[in-house]
Amino acid sequence: MRKVLRSIAVVGLSAAMVGGMAMPVVAAPAERYLHVRVEDPAKGESVNVNLPLSLAEKILPTVNKGGLHDGHVTINHADFNDVDVRAILDAIRTAPDNEFVTVKEKDQDVRVAKSNGNLIVHVRDNTKGGEKVDVTVPMKVVDALLSTAKQNELDVAAALQALSAEGDALLVTVEDATQHVRVWVDSRNTQD
Amino acid sequence: MILLGKVMLGIAGITVAGVGLLCSEGLIEVNVVERQPEAHHVYVLAPAALVPMTMRFIPSRKFGRASRELQPWMPTIRAALDDLRETDDVTLVDVTEPGQHVVVTKQGGSVVVDVHDQDETVHVSAPIRAIASTIEQVAAASDDSSN
Repeated sequence: MRKVLRSIAVVGLSAAMVGGMAMPVVAAPAERYLHVRVEDPAKGESVNVNLPLSLAEKILPTVNKGGLHDGHVTINHADFNDVDVRAILDAIRTAPDNEFVTVKEKDQDVRVAKSNGNLIVHVRDNTKGGEKVDVTVPMKVVDALLSTAKQNELDVAAALQALSAEGDALLVTVEDATQHVRVWVDSRNTQD
Repeated sequence: MILLGKVMLGIAGITVAGVGLLCSEGLIEVNVVERQPEAHHVYVLAPAALVPMTMRFIPSRKFGRASRELQPWMPTIRAALDDLRETDDVTLVDVTEPGQHVVVTKQGGSVVVDVHDQDETVHVSAPIRAIASTIEQVAAASDDSSN
């Protein structure tokens, strides 16, 4: 009887071990958050927003208003002074790492570059208290934006998914004499 | 005597079951403290399950405009609330202005709004399921009132 019990225990333990190996525990992917912080220290004002990216991904395709429909945004060339945004993004996407545009004016410097898999835009307003704008967008997000077949559309929903799959990233910083704006993505649900 | 005991036990059981059923959807908590010009304190703690029930007694025509405006946004609201229920606890919005602080958080299965300003302090906590079913009822009232 004891032998039978021992055999059952060994078989049971072996089955449990094999079962454990066959079905490894798959951890759910960590939630990622889009953070927006706007601060105006002079006025003592601040706005902090923490939006789960999964929430944005699910909401966006349901919004059908204005140029936004089914997660796509329709580009009206008139809104961009007839600049073909999609063509520009596509040209940048297929180009090698380089500095694409550097515009130096008396009061403003603009630099657009592609570096280490990111599209980088720096704008410097050199007037007193002028704005400093830095935008960094992973090229995978740009790829996703252009993944729709329609020429006058950008796929924002796909871009959000791509952003969610990317690592932590500081996307936008804007600083002027009074306000600081910061937009970033990470897996923390607080801004601390 | 034994019969009386059984009746009392039955009543107690029904009461406990009823309270359990009412509280199964969570609780809505409203706490308002006014400081000016006179101090007032309003505190309400009610079972969330009562809200959808209460809504049934309000004539649907009262929701006419609200429901018409809600209708096109229902897919978005449903998606938002469904996902919000699943996400981890998070401070969604935190706004600070001189003399005012507003915080909107997701805590457990509830959305919590805290407003602190010079005149009053407001705390509202409502279960997401109750919010969802209430909004569904308001939106559905549009169809009823158009008939």
